Amino acid sequence: MNSFAEINDKLIESTIEIFTGMVMMEISVAGEPLVTVGPLKQSITGMVGLAGTHKGLLAVHFPKQVALDVTSSFLGMEVDQINDDVQDAIGEIANMLGGNLKTILSDRGKDINLSLPSTIYGDEYAFSSQAEVDQVILPFQAPSGVFYVEVELEH
Amino acid sequence: MELDQYLVDATLEVFASMIFIDIAAEPSTPEPPPDIEQNLSSLIGFAGDLKGLLGIHCPTTVALGITSAMLGMEVSELGEDVKDAIGEIANMVAGGLKVALAPHDKKIELAIPTTVIGKAIRTSGLSRATRVVVPFSSPIGRFYVELRFVLS
Repeated sequence: MNSFAEINDKLIESTIEIFTGMVMMEISVAGEPLVTVGPLKQSITGMVGLAGTHKGLLAVHFPKQVALDVTSSFLGMEVDQINDDVQDAIGEIANMLGGNLKTILSDRGKDINLSLPSTIYGDEYAFSSQAEVDQVILPFQAPSGVFYVEVELEH
Repeated sequence: MELDQYLVDATLEVFASMIFIDIAAEPSTPEPPPDIEQNLSSLIGFAGDLKGLLGIHCPTTVALGITSAMLGMEVSELGEDVKDAIGEIANMVAGGLKVALAPHDKKIELAIPTTVIGKAIRTSGLSRATRVVVPFSSPIGRFYVELRFVLS
């Protein structure tokens, strides 16, 4: 966890910045960083891998309603179900967060590359990485619920 | 480059050397069949000259069967062991792909594997990416190896 002490603040700052500036949604920190989240129900996760000097991944877990609101606000169009637009929007948010994480971890992010963003959704699922990683999960409050930004980095 | 073939070869190699289950590749498709029972997906991202994601999608019975064969003990619960085993297979198949691409002057670097366990989970990526899904048949059932990528 120690390795995250210094990046948590920057990650929180950049998440709020992306939501305020790009998604046009006010969010706030919803408590202390967590180590795990339980099974995700009726949710969608956007994730992007990091390769290079730092290996890891960034994931953002949204309950369905929050994902729909985020997409509506981000794309400026109403959506009422998880469709391609929602998947693209959530993947793009993971991509933007990953881009910022890259810069936080390495000077101008030049030694780290992002993989393609991807989304996962389902009625109920658990998200877990292999054992040998450090991870942190930051909870955020959006108007319609709490969502989580998760970062995992190999030692 | 014959990416389909690299993907098939890398998967066969991992199964032949680590898991000792006979598997056979079926013709690849651009989309996973809509009716696949998908309870576990291990995903690993990669970046470099090719950017993308490799995924292994299994129904419960196949995930348990592969893990049992790999660890040499009966595994009956979709938990830590299974997550580690299939995640490691994803990592190794992606590693095989990396080796196969190197002579073509395409360098990729791998991220870390992650595993999603659930009911009727679906994964998807950017619509502009190329997608290849290879079904594999085995005595314990079918599973799918998927590659999504864009050339950077």
